[in-house]
Amino acid sequence: MRIRAITAIVAILLVAALGAPAVAQEKTLTIGVLGPLSGGAAAYGVELVRGAEMRAEEINKAGGLKVGNDVYKLKLVTYDHKALAADAATAANKLVHQDRVKYIIGNAVGATCNAAQTVTEPQKVLFAFVCWGTANLGPDKPHSFRIMLSQWEVAEPFYRWVKEKHPKAKRVAIISPNDTSGKDTNTAVVKALRGLGFEVAADEYYERGTKDFYPILTKMLAAKPDMLDVAAAPPGEAGLILKQARELGFKGLKGWTAGVNPVTVIGIAGKEAAEGVWSPANINVKSDYVSPTVRKFGEEYERRYREVPGVIAVANYAAFDVFTKAMQAARSLDTDKVLAALTGKPFDTVWGKLVLGGKETYGIDRQFLYPVVISEIRDGKVVDIAQVLPAALKK
Amino acid sequence: MSIDLLVQALLNGFGLAMVYVLVALGLTLIFSILEVINFAHGEFYMLGGYVTYYVFAVFGLNYFATLGVAIMVVGLAGVVAERLVFRHLRHKTLNAFIVSLGLLWVLQASAQLSFGVLDKPVPSAFSGIVRGFGVIMSMERLVVTLSAIVLIVALYLFLKWSGPGRAMRAVAQDADAAALQGVNIELVSALGFGIGCALAGGAGALLAPVFAVSPAMGALPVVKAFIIIIVGGMGSLPGAVLGGLLLGCVEGIGSLFMGSAAVNVLGFLMVIVVLLVRPRGLLGA
Repeated sequence: MRIRAITAIVAILLVAALGAPAVAQEKTLTIGVLGPLSGGAAAYGVELVRGAEMRAEEINKAGGLKVGNDVYKLKLVTYDHKALAADAATAANKLVHQDRVKYIIGNAVGATCNAAQTVTEPQKVLFAFVCWGTANLGPDKPHSFRIMLSQWEVAEPFYRWVKEKHPKAKRVAIISPNDTSGKDTNTAVVKALRGLGFEVAADEYYERGTKDFYPILTKMLAAKPDMLDVAAAPPGEAGLILKQARELGFKGLKGWTAGVNPVTVIGIAGKEAAEGVWSPANINVKSDYVSPTVRKFGEEYERRYREVPGVIAVANYAAFDVFTKAMQAARSLDTDKVLAALTGKPFDTVWGKLVLGGKETYGIDRQFLYPVVISEIRDGKVVDIAQVLPAALKK
Repeated sequence: MSIDLLVQALLNGFGLAMVYVLVALGLTLIFSILEVINFAHGEFYMLGGYVTYYVFAVFGLNYFATLGVAIMVVGLAGVVAERLVFRHLRHKTLNAFIVSLGLLWVLQASAQLSFGVLDKPVPSAFSGIVRGFGVIMSMERLVVTLSAIVLIVALYLFLKWSGPGRAMRAVAQDADAAALQGVNIELVSALGFGIGCALAGGAGALLAPVFAVSPAMGALPVVKAFIIIIVGGMGSLPGAVLGGLLLGCVEGIGSLFMGSAAVNVLGFLMVIVVLLVRPRGLLGA
């Protein structure tokens, strides 16, 4: 009896040993996701995680990610940095040194990206994010990618469109959070406005987490703007600004250059205050302008989470798709090889054929480029009304 | 700068200051009776916001009835917190401080798990805008400000004229002497803590339609409340009202001349000046 058992064990071990090189081994690939999952910018983090979750689940359900001879089940590790730079640096350290990740796909809020990059770049960790800011991309940060259009791609074509459609709008007031994302957004918007001949009626900043915008709006509206741009405000705060601006008597045009989820704004601001808001950075998953893949993603997202996804969810879903395809193309998880694959050939994505650009603005082609779709809130619904091209994509 | 703009700025500051005074009154009442600085006070404010979200926005109860429900529910939650936790820490200020910090995290994390992390919008109970004398205010904020003033006056009358109110004042002045006169200290502690939390809950309910609700919504009001009671004088109810008015005035006017980051610092500057010149606060005993 004992001899039989030993023989069986030896046989199993032999089969396992002999069989190993012939079949793909299933392993686990851990991918990090950072984001603000609490606080005023939580909407960004929630969308990042959901977009990542959905693509990772699709890959796992399809049997895993085949890279060379190995098959990997994807595992996500997520940390909340509350939109705070110090917390983001801590979270990035945990991901890289404790969880040993070589890929962080997902992060939002510019200052947190800068903080995380102090860890990711020296360690050659490939880092994909939706953070806005010129400082987040550059020749000194070759492992970093922005997976969503930023204010530098969006502001100029958006205001060119405003000028064409509403030539009476001359004076624009802008408000953003007082941090890297906000300052960079206002800088880009002011540059676009001045380049197109608009007057900047107000260029203001508020502290993240602010709820009462009456004081700052009183000052801004005293400058009599024709248009109010809640530029880089996250959805919750943008909604409050629009609501309170209406309460203070503002009836002009409304824009949201960095607006990523108008549906949330409608909820917070109310239908009347949100009416007419243009957002050029958003993506409407129910629109005729988007691909069938994005529409399908939107339907599945709404079924799972009972909310309509904004552009951040789509962007992170797309980034997961692109990065995993690059791993397959490289037949390796080595980040140098994957980086070469990513930048070496175009990939089909939910945005269409992926175009990497941005060298004129950032000094390196690490910006995902795709057409800008301008949406408007009409009677409590988000309606796409125009499509324009970022200057870099025109080239 | 026009006079209208100046008056508008003052009005902006005073309106919300009255609601923050409610939060501050709750804090100072609890401190007077238990000598406990409740850092989790903002979380009771947050609880009031969520009660409003569910009772008013989801179930559609009348706004003022909702305010009453929020005050009752959060008041009861305060009584439970006092009986389970703070009763054992009466007059142990440092221990209570640490425990209240822990409670803050527990309540905030529980809210995140229970209600989600995203802002929940509460529809406006009152629409329309009130204009006059060159200034403008939403009807919603006007009602909120007036409701806060009514609650402040009601608290004052309760403490001044009712039996339990007098007992609370007696305990605040000298707990041992009050006990010798037959005051039930434990009952007064529970009642005081409950009323203190109810005031925070009422403030949360009042501001829920103005700002939407979220798990972290209690952080800002509690900071303002601490500024108010330190400036006004720890334990002084008239001091809290005066502190609130001063803070509203300084922030309102300051916002016309400086950015929001600098305005936020003004309150703390006020605290430093008052502590240097009059460490007990303006009306502190």
